[in-house]
Amino acid sequence: MTLPGDVSDAARVAQMIRVDHAGEYGAKRIYAGQIAVLGSGPKGDVLRHMQAQEQVHLDTFSALIAKRRVRPTALLPLWHVAGYALGAVTAAMGERAAMACTVAVEEAIDEHYRAQTEELGPDEAELSRTIETFRAEELEHRDIGLAHEAELTPGYRVLSAFIKAGCRVAIAVSERV
Amino acid sequence: MIEPPERSHARDTLIDQILPHVPAFGWTKAALRRAGGEAAIAHFPGGGPELVEAYLDLMDRRMVESAAPLIADQRVPRRVRMLIEARLEISAPYKQAVRRAALLLALPANTAVAARCTARTVDAIWHAAGERSADFSWYTKRAILAGLYSATLLFWLNESATQETTLAFLDRRLDGVARLGKVTGRLRQGLWARALSPAR
Repeated sequence: MTLPGDVSDAARVAQMIRVDHAGEYGAKRIYAGQIAVLGSGPKGDVLRHMQAQEQVHLDTFSALIAKRRVRPTALLPLWHVAGYALGAVTAAMGERAAMACTVAVEEAIDEHYRAQTEELGPDEAELSRTIETFRAEELEHRDIGLAHEAELTPGYRVLSAFIKAGCRVAIAVSERV
Repeated sequence: MIEPPERSHARDTLIDQILPHVPAFGWTKAALRRAGGEAAIAHFPGGGPELVEAYLDLMDRRMVESAAPLIADQRVPRRVRMLIEARLEISAPYKQAVRRAALLLALPANTAVAARCTARTVDAIWHAAGERSADFSWYTKRAILAGLYSATLLFWLNESATQETTLAFLDRRLDGVARLGKVTGRLRQGLWARALSPAR
């Protein structure tokens, strides 16, 4: 049964590509913000490694946007600023807070990508594989964050819950707008 | 891309058949009946706006088909011009039907259809022209082309407009856009970059 607000399969896949593109765009901006603050410190290379991987993800989804004629989210300018601000602010709170931010974001993305691969049918196997590959790398970023003492951040739980809630809102909005 | 209306051979054929009847009967079920009999109505239960949307979608596809072989070696702005030129050429025999379509879409009740159709047309033009951006310029490019295309179409609908004068009008608009691009580019390199460089 079709309910109001339901969309066709093609439109649903378009939504997924739109939100994933937005997410990787935001992720790249978060790392850019962190690198602006911590780039010359001891964590600089770790951050640059993660940012380089996010750039590959973003390029992949940008190509998909063009190839499958998906409209990118209209909120890109917002994510441009918000992502950078989140990265810069957490980095300014300290190296551990920056890593806590990474852990929270990557956990939210992991959840989101897993839901997508479960939803995608066999006719979208290639897209599903792409997302699965990226999900593995996002989990690697989470583990890097944990290895760099993310959980020792003062107020870790509050910070983490706050960032994850923000990610979920961003995901819900970017699918449609 | 905005989802296209239902596409089928039967619907495309009916659109071709209705065109000669539109000047006299408008985009109406009466015209549709004359084109394909009573059975045709079932293909366009929504009547006028649905007919116009299917017509414009068909023209989008024909425009891309007819221009595609010509534009490969051209630069993007030139491709845009050639696509619009192709669109005007295809539409020339049915100017009265296009005028009727524009009038119908101008009604307040059809604003959503009108927006959808315009968005689809400019998306078709940009895509065919090889434009592949995935950043915010996706929106600005489409907005600029929507304005440029609509203005050109309205110019063309004038009784006195010919293919040549319309294309000359289009070229002047394209020149304007190119100048705008140069100015914003210079601004971005200058003031803008200096003000925002730490955040970029």
